[in-house]
Amino acid sequence: MAQAFAMIMAGGASEYLSVLTEIRAEPAVPFGGKFRLVDFTLSNCVNSEIYNVAVLTQYRPRSLNDHIGIGKPWDLDRASGGVRLLQPYRGGKYGDWQKGSADAVRRNLDFVTSQSEDHVLILSGKHIYLMDYRPFIEHHILRDADLTVAVRRVSPYETHRFGIVDLGPEGRVVDFTEKPKRAPRNLASMGIYVFKKEVLVAVLEGSDYVDFGRHVLPAMLADGRRVHGYVYPGYWADVSTIQAYWEANMGLLAEEPALDLYDPEWVVHTRSQERAPVKLGEKADVDGNLLSNGCRIDGVVERSVLSPGVYVAPGAVVRDSILLNDTVIETGAVVDRCIVDKEVVVGKGARVGHGENNRPNKDLPHRLNTGLTLIGKGSTIPPALTIGRNVVVHPFTQAEVFGERKRIISGQSVGQDIRW
Amino acid sequence: MRTLAMILAGGAGTRLTVLSEKRAKPAVPFAGKFRIIDFTLSNCVNSGIYTVGVLTQYRPHSLNEHIGIGKPWDLDRARGGVRLLQPYQEQRGQRWYRGTADAVFQNLDFILGHDPENVLVLSGDHIYKMDYTPMVDYHQEKGADLTIAVMPVPLEEAHRFGIMEVDEDGRIVHFAEKPKEPKSNLASMGIYVFNTKMLAKRLSEGSEESPREDFGKHVIPAMLGLGDGVFAYRFQGYWVDVGTIDSYWATNLELTKPEPALDLYSRDWPIHTRSQERPSAKFTPQSKVTSSLISNGCVVRGLVHNSVLSPGVYVSPGAVIKDSVIMNDTWIGPGALVERAVVDKQVVIGAGVEIGQGDPSKPNEAMPDRLFSGITVIGKGAYIPDGLRIGCNVLINSDRTESDFPPDEVKDGQTI
Repeated sequence: MAQAFAMIMAGGASEYLSVLTEIRAEPAVPFGGKFRLVDFTLSNCVNSEIYNVAVLTQYRPRSLNDHIGIGKPWDLDRASGGVRLLQPYRGGKYGDWQKGSADAVRRNLDFVTSQSEDHVLILSGKHIYLMDYRPFIEHHILRDADLTVAVRRVSPYETHRFGIVDLGPEGRVVDFTEKPKRAPRNLASMGIYVFKKEVLVAVLEGSDYVDFGRHVLPAMLADGRRVHGYVYPGYWADVSTIQAYWEANMGLLAEEPALDLYDPEWVVHTRSQERAPVKLGEKADVDGNLLSNGCRIDGVVERSVLSPGVYVAPGAVVRDSILLNDTVIETGAVVDRCIVDKEVVVGKGARVGHGENNRPNKDLPHRLNTGLTLIGKGSTIPPALTIGRNVVVHPFTQAEVFGERKRIISGQSVGQDIRW
Repeated sequence: MRTLAMILAGGAGTRLTVLSEKRAKPAVPFAGKFRIIDFTLSNCVNSGIYTVGVLTQYRPHSLNEHIGIGKPWDLDRARGGVRLLQPYQEQRGQRWYRGTADAVFQNLDFILGHDPENVLVLSGDHIYKMDYTPMVDYHQEKGADLTIAVMPVPLEEAHRFGIMEVDEDGRIVHFAEKPKEPKSNLASMGIYVFNTKMLAKRLSEGSEESPREDFGKHVIPAMLGLGDGVFAYRFQGYWVDVGTIDSYWATNLELTKPEPALDLYSRDWPIHTRSQERPSAKFTPQSKVTSSLISNGCVVRGLVHNSVLSPGVYVSPGAVIKDSVIMNDTWIGPGALVERAVVDKQVVIGAGVEIGQGDPSKPNEAMPDRLFSGITVIGKGAYIPDGLRIGCNVLINSDRTESDFPPDEVKDGQTI
């Protein structure tokens, strides 16, 4: 039997992915054409022979619930163990909304204590990586650690996004700083933990810690608990910004991508939709793309990632873009450096992501300033409209919202934010 | 329960040559990611029929693997669901299925155990989208003992089918199995709705003089002779029996046309299959792909035109594929040229190999009646050495390796 069970954090509101997470939890955001972010963590679990998995949800869980269902695609529809979705609830000692990752686990402590495994693997539902958790758990058990944190080196320019760790002799964590302004080191916590179950229960029961990185880990260090680091050398991405999301998708187009989705030894499972193969028409011109089943291409598609069921009409051009399921690009439309969510219609001759003006988005200047234009789910872009760069079109924006406008200049937002 | 379906999936399908050598014909891949039987199974569940028996006999392994417990079709059910019905031994002895009707007869207890009002007998070899509900309704309205789905075929092809003549009420007055001089162009599609009681009665009446082994040859003529109510139900729509390499190839390639008769992309009648877990198809900058179907898991670095690729096919840089059907996980080497070919799974085509370059009018010497239209067929797991030239109407059997081939050329019409 496995020595650990897994708890996947999937409840956060993650506002930095803008329109993609206005309508769904971040782990349910599509990635790499046919996958969703949570598929990587779920597949890592089953590929590591961990078949007892809880998914903690809170923010907009509907598409995540639909996706995970009873866990069939991951063989997690099981009589004992399997996948369980743990929602917020009322009543009892801990019933209330979850305030953070550690708080979410505390509210499900009855679930934790009733599992038979001795260790708890705490994972995030929004990381992209192919990791065997078995050596990680073994490392933890061999050192008799109370807590082992997976760590990896990150770019020194990005240390401010992470918890930075200092490892002492024998790999013990001697120092930890959450999101430092300046850091002398670049070894970062991946937000992946394995706890001794009894220690986790003891630490959470007697405290009001909200977050693992900000509270639990420093407190355990201060208390002199045995906290170890496990250096993970492989590919790992936390796509918590639009730019990181776009880059991680585009990274798949490389000749030898860092993330190998074609490895038969480590299959990433997902709920595949029942769709026919990609159909390329007589005039199709595709260069350097990932195209998913159910797509029909009659136009030009360059360096892009298309989810199932996208239609690109004759004379339409799609460049450096991510198009999600069942979006339609009509004749003569040009889509350049865009992320277009599901079921969007880009009307005839519309130009989305146009021009050289790279003014940052007025609502998200720190997050949307690299020229990517975002179109929310179910929106309709009227024919012949020109939309600049760093523009946000919120989900379900219909043609009449654009009125008589012929042009949306760079940095604007259109429609209504439906986040709250 | 109203209707139970029995799918005939035991035939050898010899005219598909090496494609059906190691698998039953219903398990032959089609349109990239599907297998032929997916159409019939999907028609059943889309028509609300959730109790399905699949009769197997010839090389059933890949069919068994594919159907499994029926998950992709939601046929993994507590009541009903899909059952694979193999030939079996009993105390009186053992008998292989001797024909379509005999196969059903030997599983009569399976049918009667579910106590359906009607039994829908289907073939696992056909490509079509059909709602069986109106046909069963029609059968009920007519109070028929047997209803046969029919469609008009060109008169010159009528000799390949069971041909019927019907009166104005839709009752079949005459039936001829593969007639030399057809009197009508209404052909049986091999899709039958039987009243269960009558089916059991007629199948049980078989004797030496009047056998009940085959529906077309024995059962239908017998029922007409006995004056049973046998009706024709006219089906309008796309229906193909991909019996030959030629029609298999053409039916696949037809799907690459702008508006094919068989629409695989409408969401209201999905064709379900056991999808392999593969990432999206990858097209590198050197690739050029037009008029083709490309399945998930493919990596295309070469040129593909007017072709159908199953999951996991790898096309190396500089390779050219034209007018071909390539099945799962076949590897096409750099600079190879594949034209007018049907290539089975897990074939390795070496660098610079040329396939289908020659005289298409020279039929295959061993099978002139099966391979004559210029198409070259390569069996599963064959290894084609670098630089080999292979002509037209060539048949390369499964698992052939370097030492089986002549040094530089396989001429038109040869078999390896």
